[in-house]
Amino acid sequence: MLSGTPPFPRLLLLTALLGGPAVADDLFIDNQDLPQVLTATRLKQSAAGVPGSMTVLDSQLIRASGARDIPELLRLVPGMMIGYSASNQPTVNYHGSNVSEARRMQVLIDGRSVYRAGLATVDWSDIPVALEDIERIEVFRGPNTVSYGANALMAVVNILTRSPADSQGTRLKLSRGADGVNDFYASQGLGWEGGDLRLSMSGQEDDGFDHDQSGTDYRDSRRLNRINLSVLQQLASNQTLEWQLAAKEGSNQRPYTYQPVFPYVTARGNNADVKAKDYAGSLRWNIDFNDQHSLYVQGSAQHFDRQQVWRACDAALSFSPALTRLWQLDSNYAEQVARNIVNPPANNNPALQALRDQVKTQWDSQGGSQVVCGDVDQSTRETRYDLEIQDTLSLTDNLRLLSGANFRYDQADSQTYFNGTLSDQTWRLFGQLEWRADKHWIIQGGTMFEDSRLSGSSLTPRLAVNYLITPRHGLRAVYSEAVRSPDMFENNVNWSYTVNNLSPYQPGLGRGEYFVKTRGPGDLDQERMRSRELGYNGSFSEIGLNLDLKVFYDEISGMISEPLRNNQYIASNSNKARFSGSELQLDWRLGQRDRLRLTYAYVDAWASNRNDSEASARNSGSAGWLRDWGDGWSSALFYYGDDALNQYRYERVDLRLAKRLRIRRSNLELAALWQQRLDDEPITLAQNRYDSRQRLSVSAELEF
Amino acid sequence: MARLLGLLLICLWPLATLSANEVLVVGASDQAGMRSFAQALQVRRGNDQVRFQPVSSLPPPSQLSRDLRLILLDRAALQWRMSESAGPRALLMRVSRVEAEQLLGADRPGYLSLLWNDPPLARQLRLTRLLMPQARRIGVLYGQHSHFLLNELRQAARPLGLEIVAQHWPDLRDSRPLQQVLADSDVLLGLDDPDLYNAKTAKNVLLSSYGRQMALIGPNAGFVRAGALASTYSDQDDWLAVLDQLLDQPPARWPRSLYPAHYGVSGNQQVARALGLEPIDPQAAALALAAGESTP
Repeated sequence: MLSGTPPFPRLLLLTALLGGPAVADDLFIDNQDLPQVLTATRLKQSAAGVPGSMTVLDSQLIRASGARDIPELLRLVPGMMIGYSASNQPTVNYHGSNVSEARRMQVLIDGRSVYRAGLATVDWSDIPVALEDIERIEVFRGPNTVSYGANALMAVVNILTRSPADSQGTRLKLSRGADGVNDFYASQGLGWEGGDLRLSMSGQEDDGFDHDQSGTDYRDSRRLNRINLSVLQQLASNQTLEWQLAAKEGSNQRPYTYQPVFPYVTARGNNADVKAKDYAGSLRWNIDFNDQHSLYVQGSAQHFDRQQVWRACDAALSFSPALTRLWQLDSNYAEQVARNIVNPPANNNPALQALRDQVKTQWDSQGGSQVVCGDVDQSTRETRYDLEIQDTLSLTDNLRLLSGANFRYDQADSQTYFNGTLSDQTWRLFGQLEWRADKHWIIQGGTMFEDSRLSGSSLTPRLAVNYLITPRHGLRAVYSEAVRSPDMFENNVNWSYTVNNLSPYQPGLGRGEYFVKTRGPGDLDQERMRSRELGYNGSFSEIGLNLDLKVFYDEISGMISEPLRNNQYIASNSNKARFSGSELQLDWRLGQRDRLRLTYAYVDAWASNRNDSEASARNSGSAGWLRDWGDGWSSALFYYGDDALNQYRYERVDLRLAKRLRIRRSNLELAALWQQRLDDEPITLAQNRYDSRQRLSVSAELEF
Repeated sequence: MARLLGLLLICLWPLATLSANEVLVVGASDQAGMRSFAQALQVRRGNDQVRFQPVSSLPPPSQLSRDLRLILLDRAALQWRMSESAGPRALLMRVSRVEAEQLLGADRPGYLSLLWNDPPLARQLRLTRLLMPQARRIGVLYGQHSHFLLNELRQAARPLGLEIVAQHWPDLRDSRPLQQVLADSDVLLGLDDPDLYNAKTAKNVLLSSYGRQMALIGPNAGFVRAGALASTYSDQDDWLAVLDQLLDQPPARWPRSLYPAHYGVSGNQQVARALGLEPIDPQAAALALAAGESTP
């Protein structure tokens, strides 16, 4: 073709968004009937303008890590402390707090919280989502109750599954490896006019840790199966409906840990395994009223079913009404009497002394010393309904208001923990304003009001100021307050064991009521966090480098630190903790084949209760090198390390090699993952040990 | 009656204006936009007689004077002109490369000059390099009717040091090609192929690319409003300037096809901001592009 004239760029300035009527009539501008898709309400702040620290684990990282579980992936997040109570009970804490519990982090799957309010925990192994369905994980490092509600105290893990529209075709994956790893994944995606769906099924099996500190086999295997359905429907050009169903069933082995109170008891059960079932359903309706105003309504229902019935043995005296009465009057003294039943200490209080004598007589001559075994039922069932409405209004090009309301109903049912059923209702109102004052300054602030029937109300503010040196380089200062509501267990526990099927049969005893009973205080306040952060986020696009740095100082007051045990459980708000330090996150794409990633966190933790500082490694981090070698070959080398989590060092190097083959119209990926521990320490707790420093697993994945 | 009057007018036309050129703008129906375009052209070409007439009021092309300068504004006008090979030469406007390939294939009648309405690929590539100098791999989706553009695109990319990552997208309900191209490239360049880029696919393409923090350049100015980062475009004023020059020449010297040398840059500032890019200055961008544009 010819161009007969030199180019003449027209200097007449057209409105940036081509919205003017003159343009709308222009015969030569195409596609004026297109919907405005990336509206001011949909577009988010650029990385440099985010009001806090954020780590995004994208699909490339997730795949390259070879991780089987979300907690292992979270090792790639600076400041995240990954521990294990057992191999099927991971605990994830940001910066720290209790090593065996992770109660201070919010975890969401596509906007649905999987934090179990009843027992204040996240069952990472039981979350009904397959890693293969995850598109990315966004970790908001820091408190953010304004955006995510109470319990977003120290961090928020936002798991986003792949859109059904991006899941078409068939995917099949099998993995085998050391420690009995035997996983599968299968998914099918379908599309039709105005809708898409993905159905996936997955399963996992492994043997867990190999042995405990005494060298005996460790009972912590797991087996699980999941099924997920995710559907996205286009109702109209400005409305979508998303709905998801998820179900998971499985069993988690638990060792028998009951220690008999009374002497001469050698009989014991052999496990305390849990059968875990999770069900979830959610529905979300999005509507764009116009390019400045959008709204969504999301409702979800979840059910967590944990069946844990196990056989325990102790002396028949455990079920003595007299001992129970003694416990209720003075639990310390009752424990002394029980532990020294052959010669129990006397007491000045005549009532206690009379009960002591009665118990002693039962032990000596009324069959109290006979060993009996029975079924302990520690099962729980929790149900949650959640309804949220959120409105996004772009008031001007530079001012956006997010506001909304949330209602949540939680119910926990457990004979052992709650002596029946307990429920709670929580209301939440939130609002956040984002103001781009000029091209350098962004001010984002908001507040949340929450009222819970069991734990009262709270108001938490948050303010962030970002200064953009250029659009890709920003400094930030953030102050936020956040709260965590005490969960039903901490506040309202009514803990007693009824033991069934006693053997040998005890006449007159029927179902045994174990003498130890514990009540929660019922008047606990919310834990309160004050967090301060200074940070820098920069993208050096010419060399492909992204960098994020931050320093922080966080204080938690009114902290509920007491471990969840049934002997003398007295929860209180009497503890405090402080976390300060710095974090680095670097992601560097060197050319088209290499990607380097580095994270590091220095955390200085202090806590009034020693338990709350043990889950903080002073130095922790990760390093990764991902390379595409061409011809379908790729490799990923990762290092993970922390200097002391619960006093145990942890260092590991992973190498994953993968080869992608194109067979007709399908893709086959064969991969091998070699994991090498660089130390001989147990993992988090003394009993968590592997036989060998090395572990190998292989996987094959077919897509067509 | 109107038909009859029109016919009468055409017959009398050559007698009335002997010294000036007669310019006939043809479109499917009597639309306000087309009439106002003809009026604007009349203002620009004071010496010429510019008229708009719908296809339905016209005799077969062979009955028109060979000196008449024809401007065809749509597909109906093209079909009318192609109904006979005899007749005046014509400038076909508002046609894209992909449409021409579909309508005409390799058979391009000698009496047609095609004035391309889609942004030229080389210009779009230079805009991409200007706005995102770090982007090297340019992702391009193509369909059955836009496949033929790839060679030209690769040739345009080579001197700029850019690599074209092309991906066939045969079934729009299956987004895997879109995901694949987003995974393998630094920026997405839209070919002006209405099979791929239309009101139905806009949401999927734009949300998927933004989800990966990637920009879409093009395929045309209409998409910039929907959420593409930027595009070059030529609007009515640009085309009037182009026509002004063409109509000065005898039809025999009209080029077989032409991309307009007059153009502007349209950018979506909100998208630029969300992707962490400098605000787009349309004037400066257009000037920078012009500085690098080769002239024959």
